[in-house]
Amino acid sequence: MQQFLTTALTGLTQGMIYAAFALALVLIWRSTRIVNFAQAPMAMITVYIALVIIDAGYSYWLGFAAALLSGLLLGAVVERVAIRPVEDKPHINAVILTLGLFIVIHALAAVIFGSNYRSFPAPFGLSGFRVGDVNVALTGFSVFTILAVLAVMLLLVLLFRFTNVGLMMRASAFNQEVARLLGVRVTRMLTQGWALAAMVGSLSGLLIAGGNLVHPSYMDSVVVFGFVAAVLGGLDSPIGAVVGGLILGVSLSFVSGYIGSEVIALAALVILMVVLLLRPGGLFSHAPARRV
Amino acid sequence: MRTWSRRVAVFTSVLAAGAVLAACGAGGRPDEGKDSTEDVVGVTEDTIKIGAHFPLTGVAAPGYSEIPSGHKAYYDYVNANGGVHGRKIEFVVRDDAYNPTQTSQVTNELVLKDRIFAMVGGLGTPTHSAVVDFLNGEKVPDLFVSSGSLQWGDDVESKPQTFGWQPDYETEGKIIGKWVSENMPNARVGLFLQDDDFGEDGEKGVRRYLGDQIVATERYTSGNTDVAPQVAALQAANVDIVLGFNTPSYTALTQLTANKLNFDPKWFYSNVGSDPELVGSLLARFSEGAVKDGSSLLDGVVTTEYIPGVDTPDDPWVKLWQEVWDKHGSGGKLTNYRVYGMSQAYTFVQALQSAGPNPTREGIVEAIEQAGKEFDGPALAPFRYSEDSHMGISGLRVSELSGGKANPLTPVLTTDIGDAPIVKDHSGAASDAPPEDGIPTG
Repeated sequence: MQQFLTTALTGLTQGMIYAAFALALVLIWRSTRIVNFAQAPMAMITVYIALVIIDAGYSYWLGFAAALLSGLLLGAVVERVAIRPVEDKPHINAVILTLGLFIVIHALAAVIFGSNYRSFPAPFGLSGFRVGDVNVALTGFSVFTILAVLAVMLLLVLLFRFTNVGLMMRASAFNQEVARLLGVRVTRMLTQGWALAAMVGSLSGLLIAGGNLVHPSYMDSVVVFGFVAAVLGGLDSPIGAVVGGLILGVSLSFVSGYIGSEVIALAALVILMVVLLLRPGGLFSHAPARRV
Repeated sequence: MRTWSRRVAVFTSVLAAGAVLAACGAGGRPDEGKDSTEDVVGVTEDTIKIGAHFPLTGVAAPGYSEIPSGHKAYYDYVNANGGVHGRKIEFVVRDDAYNPTQTSQVTNELVLKDRIFAMVGGLGTPTHSAVVDFLNGEKVPDLFVSSGSLQWGDDVESKPQTFGWQPDYETEGKIIGKWVSENMPNARVGLFLQDDDFGEDGEKGVRRYLGDQIVATERYTSGNTDVAPQVAALQAANVDIVLGFNTPSYTALTQLTANKLNFDPKWFYSNVGSDPELVGSLLARFSEGAVKDGSSLLDGVVTTEYIPGVDTPDDPWVKLWQEVWDKHGSGGKLTNYRVYGMSQAYTFVQALQSAGPNPTREGIVEAIEQAGKEFDGPALAPFRYSEDSHMGISGLRVSELSGGKANPLTPVLTTDIGDAPIVKDHSGAASDAPPEDGIPTG
């Protein structure tokens, strides 16, 4: 019973982390229609910025804010400098470019910050709660993770559904020419989309890092699982991303605990295949399939 | 689009042609070593060139990347004191990022381009496995692999050039298993194993003594940092002691996860995963101010030792390493990984001395087989080298960590793979002191 509970709860926390990353992917997909593979190293590098600030003796929250802000900036800069020149080319060009960025940022981080494991502090306790005899495998920081991801999801739903900016972002992603004709400043929307997505990415990086070890490739496995989570949810829907992340996190935790950690990647593939066979567009897709 | 793909096609065919040409070139180079008996590959009148692959970048770099700096410092020390038989040792290190594909590539470079005399200290089980056949095929001495896998020493016939160095994981597992069965005979034992040779060999040793006591066996895949499901399973099996055959980062991760699950068994980490400095520095952050000194977070953890480490600064060997590091080190302080590298380098210099004033590749292999058992050095137990076995150090002792220091719980115990008994070491290897000038005579 205790093992079941522990496995479920740690899976839940892990799922929320996948969800956070999936949210960033959804955001960029919705606002620019490309999948950004450089999301993980971009987030990683902002987490290192936070670590430098915290190491210098400032508070955790200052580092936290700095990471989010630098995420925002980095997203905008990457869009302006690297992505803009290929924006009117086929989408695949931009996607390949993000793969290239992945490698470059990785190498850069290793050069600047070194490739050693370093520990990243957490603002809340790292011991599990106890209720009577039962150990609840949630720490203060996992509760924070869950709340933060839910809040971001809610904000994104509100942004896309109820604000003008959200509508304009979707429009410019969907059809630039028409959006332009309707008076949307498309390029600005794209920059905004990238900036926001990078900020959410930084948040996911911070949530994974808290109370854990970081090194330049600490987010690499999250790229794969976060991507699977986003596709499970339909790539289009923030709620779908969170549900996808949770499904993935909890099932992988059970697979790892009761079958073996060597089959995790296989299990993720099986889940993805089953879902896509049953609902080709993902669990929460509304629109008919579009071409990438 | 059309011209683009054509351009790519032209580009790739040019590349392919270039690669083919380059490959032909490499194969067609005359092997100077074979043409003349006096000319040995990698050896000149006043130098001898050796090389190794190490992870200088990537996930395995923390800690391990310091080993070659220890090698380098000791060779520089030897060179500054006249070298070995008048020859200076050149040590070429290439980065394989702990990726077997890259290991093959850099080993090719070391052997065919740098033309090294011998490989010394190449690190890692999966990585070195990728090149061990190539090295043996090319008849390159493959000395003192930095890994405790059995395969470097238990099959001399198929790998005549390869020698292990540190105690193999099975030997270590046997000694750990016996200690637990004697000191905690009623304990429920859980295993936490890396899912490769490391965990497998260790488990083989442990099971010889703890067959009935083991109630849970959990394996983790290196790279997957979420070990909560594994630790939860150990907790569910209600184990009293966990035996971990894992790397240092996983020691930190299991401690963090156990904290999350309020799981507090006795922990026994094998030598690989227990460096108190490295693990302590990783954990210090998470102690939430309760403990200032990170390394004391590992208080009560049991582990094994086979060479003296930086926690015993008064040990004559550690004094020598400190002196070498102060004079020839590349900056930073002396760590256990650098001590490991220097200890290995010491054994190599000893082997080279034994090979005589005109070393050959066959000669050094033969010298280690003949004299290796008698090599004095920092190791607490003697080597097992002979014509039938290329296994390294034969034993270790069990210690408990306290305040970042290892306090011995047992004398040095030696054994061998298979059903060889575990006995107290009487060779006196643990009390060897380095020679006056710090350079072995062979």
